[in-house]
Amino acid sequence: MSNLFSQLDGIGAKALEQIEGASDLATLELVRVSVLGKKGALSEVLKGLGSASAEDRPKIGAAANDWKRKIEEALEKKKGGLEDQALETRLASERIDISLPSRGLHKGALHPITQTTRRIIQTLGRLGFDIATGPEVETEFLNFEAVNIPKDHPARDMQDTFFMGPGVVLRTHTSAIQMRAMRNQKWPVRILCPGAVYRCDSDATHSPMFHQIEGLWVDKKVSMSDLVGVLEFFAKEMFGSSTKIRLRPSFFPFVEPGAEVDVSWGKDRWLEVLGAGMVHPRLFEMAGYPAGEAQGFAFGMGIERIAMLLHGIDDLRLMYQGDVRFLKQF
Amino acid sequence: MRVSYQWLAELVDLSSLEKSGKGPQALADLLTARGLEVEAVDRLDKGFEKVVSVQILKKEKHPQADRLSLCTVTLGSGDPLEIVCGAQNMKEGDKVCLAQVGAELPNGMKIAQGKIRGVTSNGMLCSESELGLAKESEGILILPPSTALGQPLAKILGRDDTILTLKLTANRGDCLGHYGLAREVAGALGVQPKAGQAAALDFSKPFAKSPIQIKLEAGDLAPQFLGVSMEGVKIGPSPAWVVKRLEAIGSRSINNVVDATNLLMFELGHPVHAYDADRIEGAVIGVRQGQAGEKIPLLDATEVTLKGGELTIFDGKKTIGLAGVMGGGNSEVSDGTTKIFLECAEFHASTVRKCATAHQKRTEASHRFERGIDPEGIDFAISRLTALVTELAGGKVVGIVDARLPSRALASRASRQKVLSVSKAFLNDYLGTKLSDAELKAALKQCQCEVTEAGAQWKVAVPSYRLDLSIPEDLTEEVARSIGYDKIPATIPALTSTPKPQNLSQSPLAALEKMKDMLMDAGFYEAVNLGFTSRAWLKEFGMSSSVSVLNPLSEEHEVMVPSLIPGLIKNALNNQRHHFSADPQAIRLFEIRPTFSATEKIESKSEMQTTVVEKWKVSLVMIGPRGTGALKADQAAVDFFDLKAVLEQVFETFGGKAIRLQPYKSAPGAAGAYAGLLHPGQAVEVVAGNRAAGVAGMLHPKLERALKFRNPVWIAELDWEAIQGIGKPATEPRAYKSWSEFPPMERDFAVLLDDSVTAEKMVSVALKAGKPLAKAVRVFDVYRGSQVAAGKVSLAVRVTFSEEGRSLKEEETEAASRQIVDAWKREIGAELRG
Repeated sequence: MSNLFSQLDGIGAKALEQIEGASDLATLELVRVSVLGKKGALSEVLKGLGSASAEDRPKIGAAANDWKRKIEEALEKKKGGLEDQALETRLASERIDISLPSRGLHKGALHPITQTTRRIIQTLGRLGFDIATGPEVETEFLNFEAVNIPKDHPARDMQDTFFMGPGVVLRTHTSAIQMRAMRNQKWPVRILCPGAVYRCDSDATHSPMFHQIEGLWVDKKVSMSDLVGVLEFFAKEMFGSSTKIRLRPSFFPFVEPGAEVDVSWGKDRWLEVLGAGMVHPRLFEMAGYPAGEAQGFAFGMGIERIAMLLHGIDDLRLMYQGDVRFLKQF
Repeated sequence: MRVSYQWLAELVDLSSLEKSGKGPQALADLLTARGLEVEAVDRLDKGFEKVVSVQILKKEKHPQADRLSLCTVTLGSGDPLEIVCGAQNMKEGDKVCLAQVGAELPNGMKIAQGKIRGVTSNGMLCSESELGLAKESEGILILPPSTALGQPLAKILGRDDTILTLKLTANRGDCLGHYGLAREVAGALGVQPKAGQAAALDFSKPFAKSPIQIKLEAGDLAPQFLGVSMEGVKIGPSPAWVVKRLEAIGSRSINNVVDATNLLMFELGHPVHAYDADRIEGAVIGVRQGQAGEKIPLLDATEVTLKGGELTIFDGKKTIGLAGVMGGGNSEVSDGTTKIFLECAEFHASTVRKCATAHQKRTEASHRFERGIDPEGIDFAISRLTALVTELAGGKVVGIVDARLPSRALASRASRQKVLSVSKAFLNDYLGTKLSDAELKAALKQCQCEVTEAGAQWKVAVPSYRLDLSIPEDLTEEVARSIGYDKIPATIPALTSTPKPQNLSQSPLAALEKMKDMLMDAGFYEAVNLGFTSRAWLKEFGMSSSVSVLNPLSEEHEVMVPSLIPGLIKNALNNQRHHFSADPQAIRLFEIRPTFSATEKIESKSEMQTTVVEKWKVSLVMIGPRGTGALKADQAAVDFFDLKAVLEQVFETFGGKAIRLQPYKSAPGAAGAYAGLLHPGQAVEVVAGNRAAGVAGMLHPKLERALKFRNPVWIAELDWEAIQGIGKPATEPRAYKSWSEFPPMERDFAVLLDDSVTAEKMVSVALKAGKPLAKAVRVFDVYRGSQVAAGKVSLAVRVTFSEEGRSLKEEETEAASRQIVDAWKREIGAELRG
């Protein structure tokens, strides 16, 4: 009888010793099978249980279970240790040089003209302006006569024009859009008109095509002080809260009074960035508005000029070359 | 326009500006603030500031250098100075120019005290070239013996004036003379302008019958014409002050009579002309509209052939001038002239402009007539001209004559006073100011506008020379100019209607802007190209433009673009040109801009419409590696399927399922403007609904080679209108759809197809046969090679089966699969591979 007990103790002690000595998970599994498997040492011992007395059987059974539990615990513990160790080894072997170059995604960017246009629209949009557009090939009528620039008038010299055919020009300013909008809509009109415009002029600071955006606000009672307020808001939002504006009298046929608008730049510079004024009554007449009922202001600026100021671009021609060295910077 | 400060100072008291110590700059600031923009203020003595006249007292050899002399000079007072000089053309007693220490000469040379070969030189004796007076000169400049000593050279040369360059706007013709500016300045300074001296000629009581009569034959285009006949005139050079004055403002002296006419024009802004009276035939001079083909010899020795309608001056026999533009060569004043006829007339502004433009004779005269002259100032102008001629060339008036239409009759001049009616409330309301009556009146008074009636409605008398003041709004500008634009307060206008959302979502640009964002996210840079290009460049691509520019700047800008592709290709080439590395270059550009075409003659169809059609295109070019990583594995070149991925992304957002890709037909006409542009085997036509919506694929290898591209070029061009109209607007909210919570089942097949059968066809057969359970069919591998027969391709296909609301049974999937396989075999002859 005591034989079975001592057999159990022997198996148990040996198993614990083997578990302790196992150097990897495979060895540990062999140990488990050799002790706890169907044909393992412990099972073999328990097969002799039938010859034990009824009184001893539960005791032997209990002792066997006790060993089984101990061995399982030891296996579990050892397994955890070995697994941790294996992971450590793997981690060490999988180390990469994180300083190697990345796989890289293609980065795109919007043209500074687009970005600046959006910035202007978003800024002025907060005051309630909507957007209006029109064609680049425009009727001479809308481009000139309708905005108070008659044929054979010296004001035409202000805008050297590309002609396409009888009565057809490449629009020289976005003012043509204003007239389209007013002919389609009664006041209140609050629109921004962005777009490409064309003039026969090409040198380091002039491109034969460039972009403008014009603002138009027409309602029953809109005054020149409203124009000043809107431009002041715009300048501060675009160029910084300490920006000041300065209006100087000037002449554009489609406004009266007309103004050139400078913004303060740095400590002691003024930059001319806008033309503006009160909408000339002739335009309301051309739009079909009853005389004396609407009043409004308009302003316009070159988008490239603003973009060059915002980004510090010093060569206008870069805008139109599709050069990735340029485009990727914005 | 160049304006002489000294001249202006004679016509208006500028002493209040001069108190500041910088008269010309103060004047420039004042003018600019009043809307008469001064672009530059230039002192004519620039470079001469420290150059004075001196006399050589003693001339010796330099003790250390044979070729140099040592001169002792005097400024007339103070200690004599020793100057080392390299020239030899002067002698003791000569008067010469000394550049004193500190001078900076026109050629940039700075004069400092220095030792030359051991002897101190206290300045430099100057040559004409060093003073910028001549391009080349030998020796130093010797001044006339009568020259006073110690005088600034600027004063000796008459270059002590300051010139203001004005950029006058087209509405202010009244300021195209010094007197006009003086009037403006006088108003601002609260003083009276001083007109030039003249004995007024009274045309209502001619004191002598004119030997030459005037004929007005052009109606309203030439409504008045005054003439003065003079005899005993002596043609000769003008006195120095006249030469100096004309040169200072950029003109030049011709002779005393012509100079008088120019002085008058630059003073009063009214162009006038002097004829040799002996060359006027038939004792008559007149103005009429010329006939087409008529030839006129002009003063500048050219001849113009009239287009018809131009205003011309004629005498009894011939045409003697282009009215308001230039006099004739057959009647001009010359050295022997003794009898002259002076003309002062009013010519129609836009008729003069049309003539000057058509014949490319933009003159000082036409510039002024185009902008309009003072119709009531004409009598004073000719009186003043007569005074100037008499002063410069002598002679006496032997006759005066005038011809005026009733609209310009002398007797009714007072009734022509222009009076604008304006409510004083309007002036303040329009400007957003709160000016008192007195302030408003004072502001108008500054512009010589007199308020002649009080009460709420004012009558404002406007001077005749202010042709630009015709409506009440014009008076608001006069008020604003006078008080200063900086006195207008800043307010924010009230909103009287609900603003649209700010995020562009309602605007016509919204969808385009979304497209730009999408292409940017796909790794493309946005390019912006000019709307025009050259015919030659389009030809490279087999393209042509139906919209030409009639007056292009150059061949580069002669036609409007029919496609954005040629521009993007040029951009890509530019980028390739500056790529010097062995690394593959990635170029990904897009452009969204209009293209232009016309199917009929280009003209305006109505006030708001032309025959030119603008189509917005979305175009892109893609070259180089798929990734941007530096490691070789990431540098595989893009192919058709990279391009297709971008397109699918676009269609997903903008067009939905209605957009299809079809094989590209390279035959001429098949793909319209794009025939021959693309590789016939690696390109597609895009079809939206039943509309052609663009092309995409590999740039034809022929073009790739011709343009010297180093890598295949992938391009696409989509018709914006065609693709955006087809689906739900990209800016509208998308509807939500639920998905099945039950896991789908998948079956994989290896399908052996004829090469001629497309994957798309195989997929559509499967979807149809597998209905309703087969939900998706996807190709996940393609194999051509030794394991399959030539002309065959093996596709690995995964079919996904599912049913809303339940799990599928194994048998259902099997049955559907069998149907698919049968259909493949039946419809496209496809076999499963073992």
